[in-house]
Amino acid sequence: MPSRTLLISLVLGIAIAAGLALALRDSTGQAMPRAATLLPAGNTLPDFALLDQGGTRAGKGVFEGQWDVVFFGFTNCPDICPATMTVLGQARRQLEALGQQPLPRVVLVSVDPERDTPEAMARYIAYFGDHNLGLTGELVEIRKLTDALGIFFQKAGGDADAYGVDHSTVVLVIDPWGRLKALFSAPQTVADLVHDLPLIMAGEP
Amino acid sequence: MKRLVTAVAALALAAGCSRNDGPPVVATDVVVTAPAAGMPMAAGYLRIGNRSGSDIRITRVSSPEFGAVEMHETIIEDGVARMRAIPALEIANGDTMVFEPGGKHLMLMQPFGEPRAITLNFYSGDELLLSIGADFTAAME
Repeated sequence: MPSRTLLISLVLGIAIAAGLALALRDSTGQAMPRAATLLPAGNTLPDFALLDQGGTRAGKGVFEGQWDVVFFGFTNCPDICPATMTVLGQARRQLEALGQQPLPRVVLVSVDPERDTPEAMARYIAYFGDHNLGLTGELVEIRKLTDALGIFFQKAGGDADAYGVDHSTVVLVIDPWGRLKALFSAPQTVADLVHDLPLIMAGEP
Repeated sequence: MKRLVTAVAALALAAGCSRNDGPPVVATDVVVTAPAAGMPMAAGYLRIGNRSGSDIRITRVSSPEFGAVEMHETIIEDGVARMRAIPALEIANGDTMVFEPGGKHLMLMQPFGEPRAITLNFYSGDELLLSIGADFTAAME
């Protein structure tokens, strides 16, 4: 009986939707992130010495004073890095259009310091929007940051100047006190970021 | 994002031995990301439908506006993206192969000029010429 099947499907669908809606609110009825994983411990970052896209020395203090959404990639990455940076830039522009305050900064940390000079980072991050930060520098300094944040990267095969780098695809959210607060696993979407970031940024300090 | 542009589909047909009425191999939704200033590469995305009546195999991709073009695939395992070259790609008869962000893509390296054409070479000796249209410079936003 097709009509009965349809009815059952509808009822099931509504029940699932209701369940999902409930799951997106915590016990006090507050809206919860739907894609991000919240990290209540709020681990602080280790000391490191990198360079921003202007060649200025940047330590852990660079992550203090604003909310940051942080991705780890490299400028010779043709696919996942521009796709992710595009999503982050679009999300920021949508939040800005919605009047969201504060607005997060988009940060790219290079996992390919051999080729990613500050100049290369400057060109690359400007391509995806204004107000972006690019960090690069000595491999050992990058490792201090990535090891503390659980980010994996490893140079992969290829030609001497056309190699790839395998790397984590997670997007991290760092609060204005320089603490890791949340993460978005891939694939990140503009809609999820626009939904979740205001909730994360409005959370308990 | 402003320079991410869409090249509208160029279609094409392989000179081939189709017994069907329509074109045997069709490429649609061709999108090429414009290389950022000074950046050494762009990515290309498209769909290739095979209605040729037999399986086909792409053995080489080239473009007069790029020094080298390779087929690559981004594989995400345990949250880690790994990019691997695809030396040759088979498309079964009746299938459509999708090149999309986060998956298979054309890696277009060493750009020298505005991208206008991409050629797919098949094992059979056929060629599929994708002309990237004037819309290339239109902003995607």
